[in-house]
Amino acid sequence: MPSFSHSWLPFIYLYAAGGFFFLAGLLIVQKAKGLNTNRKAHRKWRRVLIFGYFYFMLIHAILIIAALYW
Amino acid sequence: MESLHSLGTTTDWVVMIAYFLGIMLFGSYFAKYNRSTNDFFFGGRRFAWWLITVSIVATGVGSHSFVKYSAKGFDYGLSSTMTYMNDWFFMPLFLFGWLPIVVYTKIRSIPEYFERRFSPTVRLIATVFQLLYMIGYLGIGLLTLGKVFTPLLPEAFHILGITIPVTLMGVIITIAFITGVYTTFGGQTAVIFTDLLQGVILIATGVLIFFMGVSYVGGFEAFWHLLPPDWRLPLADFNSPPDFNFVGIFWQDGVAGSIGFLFMNMGLLMRFMSAKSVNEGRKAAAFNVLFMLPVSAIIVGCAGWIGKALTEMNPSPLNPDVNPDQVFVAVTHIIASKGVFGFVLAALTATLLSTVDSLINAIAAVYINDVHRPIKKLIKRRLASEEVEAKRELGAARLASIFFTIIGIIATIPFNSYPTVYEAHGYFHSTLTPPLVTAIFLGVFWKKFTPAGVLATFLGGSSLMILGARYPGIMITPFAHGTAMDPVHPYTYISALYNTVACLSIGVITTYLQPIILRTANKFRENKHHKNIMTSMVVLIIVSLLLVWFNIGNLIFLLVIIFLMTFMVAITAAYFIKFDPAVHLEGLTVWSIKRAKELFKGSKLNEREGERVNLMWRLRKDDEDYVNLSREDMKKMEAEIGDIIYLCDTRKYLGGLKSVHTKVGEPHNETGIVYISKEHKLTALFQEGKMLYAEKEM
Repeated sequence: MPSFSHSWLPFIYLYAAGGFFFLAGLLIVQKAKGLNTNRKAHRKWRRVLIFGYFYFMLIHAILIIAALYW
Repeated sequence: MESLHSLGTTTDWVVMIAYFLGIMLFGSYFAKYNRSTNDFFFGGRRFAWWLITVSIVATGVGSHSFVKYSAKGFDYGLSSTMTYMNDWFFMPLFLFGWLPIVVYTKIRSIPEYFERRFSPTVRLIATVFQLLYMIGYLGIGLLTLGKVFTPLLPEAFHILGITIPVTLMGVIITIAFITGVYTTFGGQTAVIFTDLLQGVILIATGVLIFFMGVSYVGGFEAFWHLLPPDWRLPLADFNSPPDFNFVGIFWQDGVAGSIGFLFMNMGLLMRFMSAKSVNEGRKAAAFNVLFMLPVSAIIVGCAGWIGKALTEMNPSPLNPDVNPDQVFVAVTHIIASKGVFGFVLAALTATLLSTVDSLINAIAAVYINDVHRPIKKLIKRRLASEEVEAKRELGAARLASIFFTIIGIIATIPFNSYPTVYEAHGYFHSTLTPPLVTAIFLGVFWKKFTPAGVLATFLGGSSLMILGARYPGIMITPFAHGTAMDPVHPYTYISALYNTVACLSIGVITTYLQPIILRTANKFRENKHHKNIMTSMVVLIIVSLLLVWFNIGNLIFLLVIIFLMTFMVAITAAYFIKFDPAVHLEGLTVWSIKRAKELFKGSKLNEREGERVNLMWRLRKDDEDYVNLSREDMKKMEAEIGDIIYLCDTRKYLGGLKSVHTKVGEPHNETGIVYISKEHKLTALFQEGKMLYAEKEM
């Protein structure tokens, strides 16, 4: 069985440190009105951006589970 | 370690040569769409998102390469996919910060951004860093190409009794010559269309290798269980071994590499800039990261995974001691039949060429914008007519392409000292991206960042980086997260974290010290010997840089020198460079994108959402850059006189190839008709009798 430092630790680090950059970026562009949530198209884009973060998180989680238990 | 030679059969070579000739002819056909340097470099801002997305696959995959990911896939398994799956974190900043700024400010190169945001001096230093970055990238691309081709060739050619040994450098030079042909004469439109074709072939080829390999080892379940459990994990071990660990690769590739790739890779930016609008560029980028990169991760790494599965079979058809950089070729040779092997290799090498051609094109763009034009401006040469100047620039761009290809060949020498291309690329990213990435990042997102801050980042930051490379055990170890230090190539990946922190700290501290720096600069200005004082300071800065570069003195001494030099750089910048926030911030930071859009249009924005209308075109006699629409069509489009519209052939499969941006002129009363100029017809190559659609951009 692979160790914690090879399975879940990199996953936690990736989405915590990466999540910090992602959230900071999202807040900056929203505050600067580069991403203007008053516009319908931009609200849709915000949903796409948040979806993307969880989409990659899900892919990695599934692959780790498959590697460990299948 | 086993090194391979003479793997290709005659059938494979025939297929490869036919493929290359086909690609070159295809690329050259699109040269007719270049009517200016704008078309040559940027494809005329006309393409649909799907076309850009597919064309990016070839560039992205080529730059990260089959060779290095197959090598790491073979040594470490599915974690070779890491670098393709960590780019999303910076997408908000890219899609809604950097991309609109680049498009609306009509910036033609990263250094040009530095001039407009800071000053011409900053542009000069940024040009040096940018060219180093791009030439390094080109060197990596050429080295990879050489490593792919070498196993296919015999150890030596025997012609008329003369023995010509096949060397890596010989292979690289030959390939570089071939690459130059359609880049030099085709330009960006040719690059986009050859990449489009290659992107499609590449995806098909990658899927083919995966299925052939899985089928060879006995199906997916057999393949999965042949891989040892550690090989099945999608992320590497947290901090070991030194040549492939998660935390180092996260900072080197996920942070420095991702920002570098999205924010300063002109080859990639030029693709997004060739999209018909910012929104279309966003779609291309998002689709690329969400779907194409994960697919690409499988395509480039699967040969390595299959190679590992092959070595676990009994008897093993693959020597476990094979050179990792040759795993892709070795595995494909085992699983594919004659001809198919040649086709796969042709697709792979053509993709690598694609990366290299994009880079050569981008380097030529930087040369024209940041060296050629400023020099001409400096020597105040009398300009010839616009047409003659455009021709001269096109000629200079072609010569620059050739020159930088030669420099790129020379750059392969230091990278070849690394055990694999992957590590060479990792080292390159860790050392060359942090100063520029930090400067761009702070410049775009922080209004307070001034020329003093950016120059201190470049000179002070890079000096601290040099010190880190000299004393890794002291300077980088605190950032290493427990990663062991390889004495030959210390901290290949995690040094990116140290380098980024060094540059960022210098930039932030200098900016926060701005009031003290300004006061000091003003005090010097009041002194009657101020010119002599500043000249002495510049000399001291140069001496300090030389002390750091040539490692004269111990660590403490050099650290003190760097901090003093950084302070002097900031003071001289504040003394010499006039920074006017009204000029240097307007439209150039994320906080003023709306203003950038207004400046792009040249008048107040019209953001009312209108419909797309279908039209037949008729020719006007003049060459003015506007079109005349009917009142009713303008009403449907919610367009006004002076608005920017996009006029395009309605055939969707053309992806916007036959299209043009222009302004709305005086209206008429013939509904369904648009009057265009001769220049519009020539630029867009509109065909008689073919319908167009028009949509308002802003």
